[in-house]
Amino acid sequence: MNNNNALWILLASLSLVMGHGATHAYEVGNVQTGGSIHGRVSFLGSPPEPLHFKVEKNTEVCGQERSLMKVESRDGFLTGAVIVLEGVDTGKPFPPKTFTGNLPGTGEFRYLGGESLGLQVKTKDCNFGPFTGVIAANEAVQFQNQDSIKHVLHSFVSKDTRGRILRTVHNQDLQPHDAIVREFPADKMEDGVVVRIICNRHDFMQNWLYVVDNPYFAISDQEGGFTIDQIPPGTYTLLVRHPVLGEQRQEVTIEARGDLQVGFAFVDE
Amino acid sequence: MTRSIRHLCFGLIVGSFGIVYALPSAEGALLDGLMGGVEESLGKKAEEKGERLVIGNFYQAERPDSHAPIGVMQDHTHNKGEFMFTYRYMYMYMDKMRNGTDNLSSNDVLKDFAVTPKNMTTQMHMFSAMYGLNDTVTLMAMLPYVMKEMEHQNRAGVNFTTNSSGFGDTKLAALWRLYAFETPSIGSHRFHLNTGLSLPTGDITPTDNTPLGNNSLLPYPMRLGSGTVDLLPGLTYTGVRNDVSWGFQALGTIRIGYNQQGYKEGNQYKVNSWGAYRWADWISTSARLNWQQWYNIKREDGQLQTTVGPAQIPLVPTADPDRQGGQRLDLMGGVNILFPEFMGLENHLNVEAGAPIYQYLDGPQLKQAWSFWVGWQMVM
Repeated sequence: MNNNNALWILLASLSLVMGHGATHAYEVGNVQTGGSIHGRVSFLGSPPEPLHFKVEKNTEVCGQERSLMKVESRDGFLTGAVIVLEGVDTGKPFPPKTFTGNLPGTGEFRYLGGESLGLQVKTKDCNFGPFTGVIAANEAVQFQNQDSIKHVLHSFVSKDTRGRILRTVHNQDLQPHDAIVREFPADKMEDGVVVRIICNRHDFMQNWLYVVDNPYFAISDQEGGFTIDQIPPGTYTLLVRHPVLGEQRQEVTIEARGDLQVGFAFVDE
Repeated sequence: MTRSIRHLCFGLIVGSFGIVYALPSAEGALLDGLMGGVEESLGKKAEEKGERLVIGNFYQAERPDSHAPIGVMQDHTHNKGEFMFTYRYMYMYMDKMRNGTDNLSSNDVLKDFAVTPKNMTTQMHMFSAMYGLNDTVTLMAMLPYVMKEMEHQNRAGVNFTTNSSGFGDTKLAALWRLYAFETPSIGSHRFHLNTGLSLPTGDITPTDNTPLGNNSLLPYPMRLGSGTVDLLPGLTYTGVRNDVSWGFQALGTIRIGYNQQGYKEGNQYKVNSWGAYRWADWISTSARLNWQQWYNIKREDGQLQTTVGPAQIPLVPTADPDRQGGQRLDLMGGVNILFPEFMGLENHLNVEAGAPIYQYLDGPQLKQAWSFWVGWQMVM
């Protein structure tokens, strides 16, 4: 190998290493005059019937039958839509949050907060957690299995909101009362919008986690409502995403200490 | 020259493990991200049918035909951290002589040779383990214990039997996930690359008592290994749709260098194709076609007696390096049973048996009559 070749290989290696580390990262900073967004997500139509599953394995833990409601609405308002404010580079820290959802079982998504999202998926009673949630690229996610049976965690990433083309990221056994930590690397998540997690042994365990890169997100509650606060003044894109109903977006301008009221409406297609 | 070959072999072994261990964080199949056009096209078709396209799902649902018929090895990969132990037992019976596609009687052979083989049994106890190192590589190691017995007859009409037994060659392999895709309507399709080495742990100087004397060196078919480091490249494709599964595998055995006895066995190539039907969650049956071609030995074992008497009559066809090659097509039928999970372990009991439907032998050689396999696989 001559010196020129060696130099090029060295430069290429350095660019790969630096390129990997040069991806955009959210920074925590002071938000003195932050504004907020309040809103509701409506669903105009009849939600599809819940899917019913006859449990084939581990009925002693999972029960005999399970159901999965993919579109959950009440009085015309949508629960579980993920609202994301895009384009915020600096702002409040990630807040600690816990979501349990309405699926059978007591699994939960716990976000530890701080400098990063800190997602923990606490699987219990054959339930990963709520049907929808959020996840961050390049961040370790802890998957805990609090059940006395094995689950096979299978995660996919998709470039579109509804996951039409899913690409496997991880496929690994989750042993009883064990925990594994897996990272969702940026190269796998490139242009990725959503991560789907399923259990290969229990087909009713399926959840959707939308990719976020800042703490300005919310998940609509049982009245379809959501709040995002401490937003630095500026103009952003506000997205609402749902695995079955798709995606809607609108441009929003946040004023200092202002409170913006927004609304989204999905219709039955 | 020999030293160079040894260095090459050593380099290959160290290199193979170096590659595997250099990629402990490898995530996903090797062709992921390189099949954009294919994915676009498949994704569009799936969307038209209201289906999702899933890329990179190498997981095989727990079903009886999630593993190939037991006579096929390295047919599937494992998830990261998954371990599988397999015990296989094989019984192969060879009976009567053949040259080309012509059957020969013992008298036909004894016109040209002092001794003819009459039949042979080979039994193997194979212990193997597979481990999912990461989402790309599955490692495999296999050690067989081999028992061989051959009956002979000489021109005087005297029958005698020779035996050899011991550990055979150790096989180490890395299975590399290449690509996988699936939709409900087209099923799942998985491809992986097989790379491996066979290490010469089998005895190539077995001896037994014969009419020629005690502790005579036994000829090539009675040896327990090749004596050489062999490369084991291959490609495997498997598919599943509803209750039907199928597969195709091409594997080679490429001999490197010559062994300590001064010869090397011929290269060997195998092509397997199989189909299986799942009758219930716990049982499936399979049919398999196994084509194989193996070549004659290069050079010869200088210590092996090949002629007898002052007239230098050829001793026995099994001692002739130019009478070892052949081609064969086997038809096999099998049953796979998946047992209920016990203490977190997934247990498979698989049986397979069959016989050649075509064999061309560079003989005279013993022709294969039938073979039988049974195996227990435990996934944890």
